[in-house]
Amino acid sequence: MDGVMTRKKTTEKLGGKDLINIGIYAAIYCVIMTAISMLGFIPIMMPMLSVLCPLIGGITMMLFYTKVKKFGMITIITIIIGAFLWVTGMGYWPFIFGIVCGVIADLVAKMGNYSSKKMTALSHGIMNITIFGCFLPLYLDINGYFSTRTSFGSEYVEALTKIFRPWTAPIILACSFVFGILGALLGMYFLKKHFEKAGIV
Amino acid sequence: MNNDTYNPKKVDRGIILDPRTKLLYLITITTFALGGAGGKRCEILIPVLCMVPFLLLLSAKRFRTALVGIILFAGSSVLLEYANALSMGGLLYYLILGSCGILGRFLPVVMMGRYLMESSTVSEFTKAMKKLHVSDKVIIPLSVMFRFFPTVIDEAESISAAMKMRGISLGGKHASRIIEYRMVPLMTCCVNIGEELSAAALTRGLGGDVDRTNICKIGFHVQDYVSIILCLVPWALLIMDVII
Repeated sequence: MDGVMTRKKTTEKLGGKDLINIGIYAAIYCVIMTAISMLGFIPIMMPMLSVLCPLIGGITMMLFYTKVKKFGMITIITIIIGAFLWVTGMGYWPFIFGIVCGVIADLVAKMGNYSSKKMTALSHGIMNITIFGCFLPLYLDINGYFSTRTSFGSEYVEALTKIFRPWTAPIILACSFVFGILGALLGMYFLKKHFEKAGIV
Repeated sequence: MNNDTYNPKKVDRGIILDPRTKLLYLITITTFALGGAGGKRCEILIPVLCMVPFLLLLSAKRFRTALVGIILFAGSSVLLEYANALSMGGLLYYLILGSCGILGRFLPVVMMGRYLMESSTVSEFTKAMKKLHVSDKVIIPLSVMFRFFPTVIDEAESISAAMKMRGISLGGKHASRIIEYRMVPLMTCCVNIGEELSAAALTRGLGGDVDRTNICKIGFHVQDYVSIILCLVPWALLIMDVII
């Protein structure tokens, strides 16, 4: 149907403005994520990060999605966020997840031509699976993970071991995905309520 | 925001390290000291790695930052030992654990990040990334982030102060509105600043078709080689662990 159009879009290079936009939104997103992650020191709140980060980050991301018109932007921002999570001490898994999820999320958003609301929400959900990467080391080797973290105190470790039973892995994965979609919807609501009026979009 | 802080040309920089070495330090410290990779074998090296950012800050004559960092780091370690030895329980324990856990684990990384931000300019950083053969598509967003972080944090603090006055804070009168009333102004003003920033960057030729030139002189010296060897030891141990 629009094969010519799509091919033109893929060969279209990312301009300077697109790349600068990526940097700006990535910076905002990372600051917000760091603020939320500080809650992770209360053991019950740690799995809640997979709920809060996608939900609140959705507002930033939906604003970013309105600027996305070319393939690659979502991939790059997800990789940068993954790298940021790695550098701030979540291990290298989020980085690997970021590359994979970023490309898939970008492809999904591209299917909706970067304007379909359904595809955008789905794409945001997939993007947020990156956050599951932070929890993966806990499931792979929970004893190894805590053998080096005894300084956190035995009670904290016990509380976390109780929370992170193997069967919770799919739940957290599903949580980050579902709340990614909900976060996207929340973001769209905010876009309509505030940002369109202010003339930002 | 104090401009001098982010303009290293005017301030004493102490030992001059290549930005690539600083990045290597940051990744090594975060992977081993914070992430706890490598297990028992690397445990001896972790205190050494943790002390590196403080030494670097001292060499750059950031005495106050370094001193505050060292006191917090030592204080939190002592408090944790104390809490563990007494095997305390309950809410107080969690409070101590929360604050000390954050400090002890994150302080070296935060200090290293701060040193990296304060002691290298955006153009040096760009040049280093270019020498690492990172794609332009990643370098430009990263250098924008590098420049934009202080702005976002600054704005967030101002907004939080303003909202606190109206009772929109944790424990305030309207705590439920926290997300909407903080996120929306933050996004609005950051996007506006971002627009100006991107206009300024475009006039300076960022993202053009032609390769940008860079006059920064960066390169490896003796101190860089020593640092690299120090950083490679835990990585080698990790790889040996995986293979054997």
